[in-house]
Amino acid sequence: MTPRSRSLFAADPQIQSRKRADARFRLYGLAAILASLALLAVLLGTVIGNGLGAFQQSYLTLEVELLESKLDKTGNRDIEEIKKVTTFGYDPLLTAAAERLIETHNIQTDLRAKDIAKLLSKSAVSDLRDFVVADPSQIGSTVSFDFLVNARVDGYLKGRVTRESIADDKMISAEQLDAVDQLVAAGALVKRFNLDFILGSDASDQRPESAGIGTAMLGSLAMMLVVLVLTLPVGVAASIYLEEFAPKNRLTDLIEVNISNLAAVPSIVFGILGLAVFINILHLPMSAPLVGGLVLSLMTLPTIIISSRAAMKSVPPSIRDAALGVGASRMQAVFHHVLPLAAPGILTGTIIGLAQALGETAPLLLIGMVGFIASTAPETMGDALLAPNTALPAQIFEWAKRADPAFYERAWGGIIVLLVFLVAMNAIAILLRRRFERRW
Amino acid sequence: MSASKISARGCNVFYGDTHAVKDVNVDIGSKSVTAFIGPSGCGKSTFLRSLNRMNDTIDSCRVEGTITLDGENIYDPRVDPVTLRARVGMVFQKPNPFPKSIFDNVAYGPKIHGMAKSKSDLRDIVENALRRAAIWDEVKDRLDAPGTGLSGGQQQRLCIARAIATHPEVLLMDEPCSALDPIATFQIEELIDDLAKNISVVIVTHSMQQAARVSQKTAFFHLGELVEFGDTDDIFTNPSDPRTESYITGRIG
Amino acid sequence: MGLLISAASIAILVTIGIVLSMVFETVHFFRIYDWTNFFFGSTWSPNFRGDSELAILPLLWGTLYISAVALLVAVPVGLFAAVYLAEFAGPRVRATAKPLLELLAGIPTIVYGLFALITVGPGLVQLFGEGGFFGVSWMAGASSVLTAGLVMGIMLIPFVSSLSDDIINAVPQSLRDGSLGLGATRSETIRQVVLPAALPGIVGAILLAASRAIGETMIVVMGAGAVAKISGNPFEAMTTITTRIVSQLTGDSDFTSPETLVAFALGISLFVLTLGLNLVALAVVRKYREQYE
Repeated sequence: MTPRSRSLFAADPQIQSRKRADARFRLYGLAAILASLALLAVLLGTVIGNGLGAFQQSYLTLEVELLESKLDKTGNRDIEEIKKVTTFGYDPLLTAAAERLIETHNIQTDLRAKDIAKLLSKSAVSDLRDFVVADPSQIGSTVSFDFLVNARVDGYLKGRVTRESIADDKMISAEQLDAVDQLVAAGALVKRFNLDFILGSDASDQRPESAGIGTAMLGSLAMMLVVLVLTLPVGVAASIYLEEFAPKNRLTDLIEVNISNLAAVPSIVFGILGLAVFINILHLPMSAPLVGGLVLSLMTLPTIIISSRAAMKSVPPSIRDAALGVGASRMQAVFHHVLPLAAPGILTGTIIGLAQALGETAPLLLIGMVGFIASTAPETMGDALLAPNTALPAQIFEWAKRADPAFYERAWGGIIVLLVFLVAMNAIAILLRRRFERRW
Repeated sequence: MSASKISARGCNVFYGDTHAVKDVNVDIGSKSVTAFIGPSGCGKSTFLRSLNRMNDTIDSCRVEGTITLDGENIYDPRVDPVTLRARVGMVFQKPNPFPKSIFDNVAYGPKIHGMAKSKSDLRDIVENALRRAAIWDEVKDRLDAPGTGLSGGQQQRLCIARAIATHPEVLLMDEPCSALDPIATFQIEELIDDLAKNISVVIVTHSMQQAARVSQKTAFFHLGELVEFGDTDDIFTNPSDPRTESYITGRIG
Repeated sequence: MGLLISAASIAILVTIGIVLSMVFETVHFFRIYDWTNFFFGSTWSPNFRGDSELAILPLLWGTLYISAVALLVAVPVGLFAAVYLAEFAGPRVRATAKPLLELLAGIPTIVYGLFALITVGPGLVQLFGEGGFFGVSWMAGASSVLTAGLVMGIMLIPFVSSLSDDIINAVPQSLRDGSLGLGATRSETIRQVVLPAALPGIVGAILLAASRAIGETMIVVMGAGAVAKISGNPFEAMTTITTRIVSQLTGDSDFTSPETLVAFALGISLFVLTLGLNLVALAVVRKYREQYE
C-alpha cells in the first residue's frame, strides 16, 4: 500500500485537469439549455415580429358622393333596381372621390384620379355597394368612407414594400408612392387596428389586405366541439374499464400496447384513414369540420385515455376500499368516489389533448380543409359542421403557399392567434392542476 | 493507539432549517474502528457524510465548525472534495454496484484517479482490492460478469473492494450490513476487522451488538448531539450518561 | 360494463381501421403497379401520361436523411440540456427552464413549418447561396434537406430532453453517491456511471424521436422541397414520404389511378416503419424502467 502524505491543499495537476474537464462538461450542458431557450426566443420573436402587422391595416378616408344618377336612375329607391347596378357602376364614384381627395389635400401629383383610386383595395367597390344595398336611403348624399388600401400601399406603410422592391412591380408605381407619402402627411391615409383580420374570412389571391381568420376560427371551434363530445366520454369510459375493471390478460395487454402506439402514429396516417373511411366509404362531405373533428378525435383519444388513466391511478386505493367497505358496488365506488376525485386530472388531460388537436395540420390537408376560400361564415350549427370550411392551422398553411408576400404577414398573424388559443388552453390546464392538485 | 486521523470541532450540520448535527467534537483514531450508534434520525449518518463532504451534493445542506484530516481542515475553500474523497472513501447502506462488469466496478476509482500506469498494473490493483475485500475467490472466474448479478452480500463486498481500490486512508461505512443476511453480515464484519489493520474505519450502525463486536471506540448520538464518546467497552459496560444507558438497555431508540 | 369494454376496444378498432383502409387501397395499387418497381425502383416521377415511375426509395432516402439531420441537432442539444437540468441545475433554474422547454414542445408543427419556409430557408440561402455570406453558391433555393432538418431538430429538442430528463432522474441516487464517494467529479459520474446506466432508456427516447421525425409532415412539406432524388448534398431540395402522401392526395384525386393509390402504399410503409420503431422503443424503455423499480 502506498503511503500518502500529500496535503489536501496541494494543487495536483491531475486533479486540476479533471476539474477543467468537469467545468467544460457543465458548460456544454448550460450551452445546450441556453441554445434551446435562444431558439425559443428567436421563434417567438419571429412570430411576433412578423405577425403583429396583420392586426393593423391601412385605411384611406374618402368622401364619396353617392350619385343618384349612377346608382338609382329611376329614383324610386327600388332595392331590386339598385341591386342591378354592378360594382363596375361604382367605379366612377371612387374616381370622383379620389379627384376630390387630391383637391382637398392639395396633393402634388401628375397621376390621374383613376390611378389614385387604384391605391384602394379591390374590395373597396364591393364594400361600397354592400353599404348602398344595405341602406338605399343614403343615395344622393355624400358619405365619408374608410376604405382598405391595397396590400402594396399597406406594405409600404409597414416597411415591407420599399421603393427599391417595387422597381418591377406592375401593381404600383413610384409616383403612386409619392402620393401616398403626401396622403399620410395629410392624415387621410392611416394605419390602425384591424378587427376584420380576427373576425373576417379569407379573401382571394388579389386581396390579401382583406383576408381574415375568423371563419377559420369557427371551423376550428366546430372541430374542437366534435373532438370534445366524442373523445371525453369514450376516453373516460375506456380508462375506467382499463384502470378499474380490466382483467390482466392478453386482450388487455394488447389494448394497452395499442393505445400507447396509437399515440405515436404519425398524424398524416390518421388523415389517410379519414380520407379512406369517412370520405370514400361513408361519403361524408369533403372539407367538412365534422370529418376534421372525427379524424382529430381518433388522434386525441389515446392522449386522453393515457392522461385519464394516470389521473385515476393517482386516486389512492384506500378511497375505493372505503367505498366498498360501506357496501358500495364497484361501479358505484368508481362513479361516486374515484371519478370525481380524478375529474380535474381528466379535464387537464382533455384540454391538453384539445390543444394538440387544435394545432394539427397534416391530416386536415388530406380531407380537403385547405386550398379553397371559406369566404363566408357558417350561419347555422349544421352549416358549421357540414359546410366546407377550413381550420386555423390549415388557413395559415394556405396563406403560406400563396405568392404575394402580403399573405406571409397574414400567416404569421394567424400563428399569433393560434398561439394565443394554445397558451390560454394550457394556462387553464395548469390552473386546474394547481387548484385541485392533491397530494395523497 | 496513534494520534487521531480525523478531528471534528464544534461541528454543526443543517438541512435547510433543520439542525441535524449539533456541536459535535470527536477524534477518530487511525488504524482502528470507530462506531457511531444511536436511534434513527439522530444525525449519525449525516455526520458521517460530512466527514468526506458527501453532504456537498445536497443543495440545502450546510456544515459549520472544523473537521480536520491529518490536521488539515477539509472544509477549507482550497480543498477539493474530489481529492478528499480519494483519501476518505465511503461504503453505503444499500449495495450500489455500477451497471458495469465486476472488474470495471473495482477499476473505476483507480482509473479516474490515474493510479494505474498500465493494463497489468490495473489488473493487479483490482485483484488486490478484491482479495482484501475477501471476494476474489468468488468472482475471479467471472470478472466480466455484471456486478449487479451478484448476491447482496457479494455486492456489498464488491462495493468495499471498489472503495479500497483507491487506497483511502479512511473508510466510512454507512450501515453497510443493514440490507444483508446474518452470514453476509458476519463476512463483512470480519473484513472490517481486517481492514482496520491498515486504515481507519468509521462505521454507522443501528446494531449495538455490531458496534460492540467490531469497534474499539464508540460514539453515541442522540437528537443530533454527541452524547458520549469513548472506548467501546466502557460505553457498553459503564455508560456515563443516562441517555446512553437508556439506549443500550433498550428503553429509547 | 359492455359500454366500457367497447370504449376501450375503440383503440383496437382504430388501428384495424387504419391498417384495413390502407391495405385495401394498397392491394388496389399493386394490382395496377408492379410491387417490385415500388420497392426497388430508383425513380419517383408521377405524371399523367400513364408511365409514372413510383418508387419509394428516393422518398425513403429523403425522409431518412432529413430525420438524421434533425436527430444530429436534437440529440446532442436535448441530451446535454437534460443532463444539465437533471444533474447541475439548481431548483430555480430547473423550475424556469423546464416549462420553457415544454413550451417549445407545445408549439404546433405548422409554426415550425412556416419558420422553415420563410425564415430559416431564406436565411440559409443568405449564408450558403450565391452572393451569400460565405461566398459559396451551394444553395440554389430555400428548400433543402438542411432547412427541414434543422427546423425539425429544433422541434425535437424538447422531446429528447424531456424524455431523457425522466430517464436520467430514474437512475438511483445511490449510484451517483457511490461514484462521488470514490472521488469522481460530477462529469465523470455522469459520463461513466449515470449515462451508461440510463443508456437503454436514452436509446429508446432517440428511437421515439426518430419515429416522430420520420412521420413529421408540415415541416418537410414547407421546408424540404418536392424533388425526389438520392443525393448526399444537404443543400439540395429533397422530398419525403409524408410530403408525397400530401401531394398525391390533395386536390382532385382519381382513386383508380396509380398516382393517387400510391399514397396508400406510402402510407402503409410509413405506418409500418414508425410502428416498428415505436414498438422497439417502448419495449426498451419499459424494460429499462423495470430495472430500477
